[in-house]
Amino acid sequence: MLTIHRLVKRRGSRTILSGISFQARSGRVTGFLGPNGAGKSSTLRILLGLDSATSGEALINGVPYARLRNPLATVGALLDGSGAHRARTGRAHLNWIARSAGLPRSRVDEVLAIVGLTDAASQRVGSYSLGMGRRLGLAAALLGDPEVLILDEPVNGLDPEGIRWIRTLVRERAATGRTVLLSSHLMGELAETVDDVIVINQGRIVADGTLAEVIDGHGTLENAFFALTTPNGGRVAQ
Amino acid sequence: MRAITAELSKLFSLLSVWVALAIGMIVPTAIAALNSVSTRKEIALGDHTAVGIDMGYQELAFGVIGAIIIGVVAISHEYFAESGESGGGRQITTSLIAIPSRLRFLFAKATAVAMVSAVLASAAAIATMAAIRIVLGEHAPEIGSEDVPRLAGIVCYWVLTALLAFGITVLTRHGIVPLAILIVNTSVVTVTYLLTRLTSLAYYFPDMAGIRMFIRNLEDSTVEIAPLVGGLVMTAWVAALLIIAAIVFCRRDA
Amino acid sequence: MSAEVARPHSREFVQALAAELSKLWSLPAVWLTLGGSLILNLVLAAAFVSAGLQDLTGTPNALDIGLASISYIQAGYIVLGIVASCSEYTGGQIRTTLTAMPRRSLQLIAAHLALMIVVVPAALITATSGVLLAAIALGDASAPVELGSTVGILAGVTGYLGLTTLISASFGVLLRRTLPAAIVVLGYYFIAGPLLREQTAHAKYLPDTAGLAMWFPQPGDASALSPVHGATVLVAWTLGAFVVALAVYRKRDT
Repeated sequence: MLTIHRLVKRRGSRTILSGISFQARSGRVTGFLGPNGAGKSSTLRILLGLDSATSGEALINGVPYARLRNPLATVGALLDGSGAHRARTGRAHLNWIARSAGLPRSRVDEVLAIVGLTDAASQRVGSYSLGMGRRLGLAAALLGDPEVLILDEPVNGLDPEGIRWIRTLVRERAATGRTVLLSSHLMGELAETVDDVIVINQGRIVADGTLAEVIDGHGTLENAFFALTTPNGGRVAQ
Repeated sequence: MRAITAELSKLFSLLSVWVALAIGMIVPTAIAALNSVSTRKEIALGDHTAVGIDMGYQELAFGVIGAIIIGVVAISHEYFAESGESGGGRQITTSLIAIPSRLRFLFAKATAVAMVSAVLASAAAIATMAAIRIVLGEHAPEIGSEDVPRLAGIVCYWVLTALLAFGITVLTRHGIVPLAILIVNTSVVTVTYLLTRLTSLAYYFPDMAGIRMFIRNLEDSTVEIAPLVGGLVMTAWVAALLIIAAIVFCRRDA
Repeated sequence: MSAEVARPHSREFVQALAAELSKLWSLPAVWLTLGGSLILNLVLAAAFVSAGLQDLTGTPNALDIGLASISYIQAGYIVLGIVASCSEYTGGQIRTTLTAMPRRSLQLIAAHLALMIVVVPAALITATSGVLLAAIALGDASAPVELGSTVGILAGVTGYLGLTTLISASFGVLLRRTLPAAIVVLGYYFIAGPLLREQTAHAKYLPDTAGLAMWFPQPGDASALSPVHGATVLVAWTLGAFVVALAVYRKRDT
């Protein structure tokens, strides 16, 4: 379970998050939506201990990320890009991550097979396409078979088959009682995948509830999103 | 030409270039000031031979590190963007879409590098000579008409060294190798100077030949090279390197 | 479900060290830098031997001549330290590192220790091969060299190169980008440092000059630091640089 409690982030005089609170519960897929610059990535980075919060808390199973005893077995995270140095091979990248958690090499081969990178494992990351880089990032996220998955724009750069695969993957994880938090710009995609929805705009939570609750009265998730995040409800100016 | 203006604005948007400009100004000026202070002490003790013929020029030979940095980063920043964000967008793709002719792109870049280095060299030469004048006062070496070709030599040396760094970086793409080699070779005792102990052919290395344009009293020199000849030798090296770089750059996948 | 089984700190550190070693092992730049330094060192040592044989003023000493190239080759180790640190900031790898190893102090200590484990044998091999080359090439022409002092001096060179690599790595952590870090550290070691050495006696406490005392004794200079004193000063600089880098690293948004 992920708990964000009154989280504030300021950079200089700019307020990026103004005291947001929400939860992502076990056994459910939580969609995290917002326009560019709304504060999605900042929230995820604070949750992962990459950025520090000005005030408030971001907890994973009740603990800040940096105090997790076995981070890889608890949280798998995919942020933008591959998160890998371009001069290393895909397998070498996963190998060092596996070492940091004392995972066996056989687990590296397993995740390579899961994301479909077995044949490209000996190539340099610099030669990967956008989609392959994303698959490598996913492989790293799955390495410790974590209880929580945090995925930032996971379908970005993936082909239709990859998108369907991600959808199945997150549904399966939730079905076994794990927690999934995923952000996406693709409303249609999210509507088919998530149980709960959190909408953030200009550093504030503007909607938080089940998919049905958030859509209620708007017809589709896309309509609900525009109604919540734009002053004119997303109507294109004539 | 618009391509050159574009390259100039790219250069000035890089932090490293501003650092290079500061280093190019400060290094020779500060060393010249420090050396002048010790020279003044020697003069006070009655040693009037303390002012050497190469005073100021020697110090300017170290300042060339500023020009080296400009030549290296002008190319290397196109290839490797380091930042916390991934993707590390290679600007070269965008650049080559904006200027599809690779030769024109390279020419515009080299011209921008040469222009910035020339201005930097002139400013550094003025500042260095002024620092000596301020510290030594009446004892400072006269600057007369015979100094004009030497000062021009300094500017040529900086521009040619910047282009040398530029050419090597086109070939290596990453800036670290040319930067390390060229900074090491700007050291107090350069590798090429040591090689002259081994073979007099080493006097024809680009840097050893190039400094003849402005250094008049090269320590233990066994080969005399006229300033103009030295300049031409260095120019020939740089021209050959740039031609190779241009051929490789045009044939290579971006 | 993976339970929160407590992982002892000692095991966490060993695993972090294994991960950091694996990173260095799989980074081609590490091998290119170390291999390049080794080869260039042999080439330079051969050049120094050849110059030493021509020099008729004194008896050449295999130890002095074999190590003369180290003051240039240290550039390779400086670059290695910087590349090792700055490689984290390519492709967003730092985020992977910090999600896998969120305790930043532990991770940075493991990274520096891993670097030491790679650099120390490489430095020892490089220094020894240069001395061996000089000893074999000079043969009977060399002044006699004591085994005891040779071992001491080789240990001094190895320690010097190792600590210099760590200082460079700390600068890499601070500046995050390869070229600016290389400009600062190489500029100091090859331009500012040697010039300061000539200008002021206090320079003997600076990291480059103090480190030099570890392997380049100056018997003529009574005020020079002893090898042990020099090593102590250099270790203090290395720790200082590391503490500053760690303080910044712990606080930084990545």
